[in-house]
Amino acid sequence: MTAIAAAVEAGVLPGRVWVYSNYHCNLACSYCLTESGPGVPRRELSSEQILDTARQAADLGFTAFGLTGGEPFLMPHMAKTLAQLGGILPTVGLTNGTLFTGRRLAAAEVLAGTDVALQISLDSADPDVNDEARGPDNFAKVVDAIPALVERGINVRIATTGDIGVEEMSRLCELHRGLGVPDTDHVVRPVIARGRAVTAGTGVAAGTDNLPPELTVTADGAYWSPFGPTVLQGRPDTDLLLTRTTDPLSVPARTLLGLVEGRPPGTDSTLNIR
Amino acid sequence: MSRVALLGAAAAPLTARRYYDGGDPGPLVAALATVPELLEVFLPFVSTVLGASALDARTKEIVIVRTSAVLRCEYCVDTHCVVALDEGVTVAEVGVLRDPDTATDHVLTERREDVLVQWVDAVAGGRGPVADELAAALASCYAEHEVVELTLLVGATMMLNRFCTALELPTSAEVLARLTAEGLRG
Repeated sequence: MTAIAAAVEAGVLPGRVWVYSNYHCNLACSYCLTESGPGVPRRELSSEQILDTARQAADLGFTAFGLTGGEPFLMPHMAKTLAQLGGILPTVGLTNGTLFTGRRLAAAEVLAGTDVALQISLDSADPDVNDEARGPDNFAKVVDAIPALVERGINVRIATTGDIGVEEMSRLCELHRGLGVPDTDHVVRPVIARGRAVTAGTGVAAGTDNLPPELTVTADGAYWSPFGPTVLQGRPDTDLLLTRTTDPLSVPARTLLGLVEGRPPGTDSTLNIR
Repeated sequence: MSRVALLGAAAAPLTARRYYDGGDPGPLVAALATVPELLEVFLPFVSTVLGASALDARTKEIVIVRTSAVLRCEYCVDTHCVVALDEGVTVAEVGVLRDPDTATDHVLTERREDVLVQWVDAVAGGRGPVADELAAALASCYAEHEVVELTLLVGATMMLNRFCTALELPTSAEVLARLTAEGLRG
């Protein structure tokens, strides 16, 4: 058993490894951590790089995988790549859910019956509120896509970002249940004060004291958390950078473990920032 | 203006943060921090080679200043001239050491130091083997383990020289002020 596997088994390290497949996106959400949008540098990882990272993660003893962006499904290989990832480790793929029509929806059928869940962002049951942060017609596209994916046997989760009231949350939960997504597959997190949220002056401060140490690989290096490789005013942040080396994955994994083991006793994540 | 971003404390990667605990760690650390796994191995190496060791500090600073002068590294010359002054190298000696076109025999009174400077000029400025005569002269002044350490010191300084020069690391205002006060800078 590797030191990483032992740490994961003991709960010292979270089991999930994340990758940022790319940074470009068809949306430009107001709180986006990575200032993603249509014209930003793509910072892509190839399908083979992503799959190799997952294989190395599994060999080291990590137990789950996550993929985010940018909008991953802007990359034509993404459905097939995710399906392959599901054969390596249980995988969650984050997506804005706005691209699942026509050929992309048909391509996603390869995910049916796999150990892959698509986590789709939906912030409000009120289309205007949702679309104010996420862009015009976002709500309509998402509520069309979710049942279409569910009907095809694809696991779907809902992610809500922001601090919404009890009544609004109740309506949102009613909505996602109606779309075929149970409460157990609905995650809620606050807006994090990184990326565009900093520019907008909103969000919760996040650092090593309240972010789980989930090893995260990008084209620029490896980070403490998927909330680490953020972008501010076009420049990638480095405060949560572990190493520029990502292959072999053991290099940043050992660095992360060293930092976690060096933390003062009792220090742990305090926010539901996942 | 440096050619690369010099990371401040707020942007310092996780394993680099300890180097900022005492305040501004200087441009070398601030540049290397952008590749923290290299900083982690490079800085202890450089600190060991350039820092306190079996060789006395004056000797080491003579080597560092002269090597940096031969390689025309403005940042290293200026920064280490101040260190050399603090280690007892005189202003006149520093003035000659920092000029790679000037021989030192009329200023350095000890033969062994003058031989050392000739060794540095040959190792840092030459190509191919060092002349047998000069190697023998050095061996007559220094023990073999000292020759090894001195030569590694020249090599490590050359690596730093090229790094600092290529990336145009800025000399601190404090260093420039001290050199100006000593008459070593206009």
